[in-house]
Amino acid sequence: MLNFLAVVVLLLSAAPDFTNDKIDHTFIISFNNKVGNNDLHLDSQNYRNSFGEIFTVHQFKYYISNIELRDSISGDSEKFPDKYFLIDEGDSMSKIISLNTSLPHITSIKFMIGVDSLKNVSGVQSGDLDPAKGMFWTWNTGYIMAKLEGESPSAQTAGHRFSFHAGGYKKDENTARVVVLKLPQQQRNNVMIEADAAKWFDALHEIKIEAAPACHEPGKLAVMLADNYSEMFSIPQNK
Amino acid sequence: MKIYKAVILIIFFVIAGISWIGRNNMSERTHLLKFVVPEGWPQPVYDFKNNPLTEEGFQLGRKLFYDGRLSKDGNFPCASCHQQFAAFATYDHSLSHGFHNSLTRRNAPGLFNMAWQKEFMWDGGINHLDLQPLAPISDTMEMAENINDVIQKLRSDEEYRKMFKAAFGDEIINTQRMTKALSQFVLMMVSNNSKYDRVMRGEDSFNLPQKLGYDIFKQKCASCHAEPLFTDLSYRNTGFPVDSFLMDYGRMKITRNAGDSLKFKVPSLRNAQVTFPYSHDGRMFSLLSMMDHYRKSVVKSPTTDSLVKNGIKLSNFEIGQLTAFIYTLTDSVLLRDTRFAPPGYEKRTQQAPAEHQHIYKQ
Repeated sequence: MLNFLAVVVLLLSAAPDFTNDKIDHTFIISFNNKVGNNDLHLDSQNYRNSFGEIFTVHQFKYYISNIELRDSISGDSEKFPDKYFLIDEGDSMSKIISLNTSLPHITSIKFMIGVDSLKNVSGVQSGDLDPAKGMFWTWNTGYIMAKLEGESPSAQTAGHRFSFHAGGYKKDENTARVVVLKLPQQQRNNVMIEADAAKWFDALHEIKIEAAPACHEPGKLAVMLADNYSEMFSIPQNK
Repeated sequence: MKIYKAVILIIFFVIAGISWIGRNNMSERTHLLKFVVPEGWPQPVYDFKNNPLTEEGFQLGRKLFYDGRLSKDGNFPCASCHQQFAAFATYDHSLSHGFHNSLTRRNAPGLFNMAWQKEFMWDGGINHLDLQPLAPISDTMEMAENINDVIQKLRSDEEYRKMFKAAFGDEIINTQRMTKALSQFVLMMVSNNSKYDRVMRGEDSFNLPQKLGYDIFKQKCASCHAEPLFTDLSYRNTGFPVDSFLMDYGRMKITRNAGDSLKFKVPSLRNAQVTFPYSHDGRMFSLLSMMDHYRKSVVKSPTTDSLVKNGIKLSNFEIGQLTAFIYTLTDSVLLRDTRFAPPGYEKRTQQAPAEHQHIYKQ
């Protein structure tokens, strides 16, 4: 009820002045997943990491949450604390995030890759955070923040499969990472963010498929993967 | 401008009116259940505000608890390992049976007083009661089902659609609602009606062996099996060496800290008479063997608890008195409470099922 009142008050105060450019509009963030300079195609294409290991990608998924849009011109910012998005390369609709904002010119964007600790200790969630999405460890509570799976001749495992499931929210095991990206030009309506899966292997730590083909619990390897994927996002210059 | 404001105000009052009416309807639909904290007990840790107990939610949870469709082949409802007559443990089984002739890796604990627990499983790996059912549902050696498939099965059942609507206001069926309903059912299993409880309330009195046993208990057991829950919910290594097949190191699996090797949650002594066998993998088949372990066979390792490292001195006489006391912790009210029996139990017929009738005709 209070929310509704707040909306009415907002409408009454904001509605009459349509000349102000600070009006509610949609801001779309689209994610374009890549491996190095190549577009990511699941299963069908071979890629090579910086150690020369050849691999295909079967699944590539990650959570995006706690988004904050910033407008350095006016100094304003807007937070979206209760929005959680599972970006899944296998589901093209999931790669487009739509936010309602009143900021006229967005100059930078801050977000978390992963799910904050609060949602890891608050029982069963719904929507993109539904444990049925398969991004959840049931035996040792916690979200899988991000997942990269595929096949590689370097993986000495059944079916030469490698699977990196990075999760963990506790102290010293946290795999959620905050990312801040500056937009090359200010934008009102949309931005495209690239995510480079190749960074999982070498951005800050060297992780060879041959040495570590699987990560399925919180701990050191998961944290190293998290450090690496925190570096995978960028916003390309408009061409 | 003025018209604009007036229109918005009218819309506001209409919506406010509708939501007011809607609110009244909602409270008519569900019937709140009261959760009673027994006198002198600590406050529960479960957050009831996020999952208010209602008769409708409880009955939905009850149906889910006894429904085999939560498992892959339909044979393993929650109740297959959590039997009411065993205080919701598995009666007389060290390990329980799971999908495709498998055995579980740990002894099924009894289910009662769950509102006071903040971590679940023998190793405490699960941090919320609502999340707990997802582990056995998806474990290949237990119910072996995929959470999505369970939700699909529930969605395709008209009865469930009705019951979810009654409990939550609409027909949406998802993991969150399913697990909240299961929690509502399990939360109501409060065990506080044993003879011990009646004695504490001044309604009954111990006989001599029980009284002596209680004194010994307070001296030698109560620092871990603390009243009134009869567990302090801590993790301890009580001197059982690792099983060479199960290779279960307990709490260390969760914390990855070598200091937690072979530590398991202290189980409650409530209803111990019916929850045998004991220990995390059920290797102790009787109270006598359990107490014998404490006085003779505690294995010392760097993580063995200091309270049991040198054994607990117990005479045969004391074991007898302790046993008499532990039997006073059996809550026959909980074991027979028809609210926790399978759905429809109240309406059961006293006759044998039709397919058995020929036996009686002979």
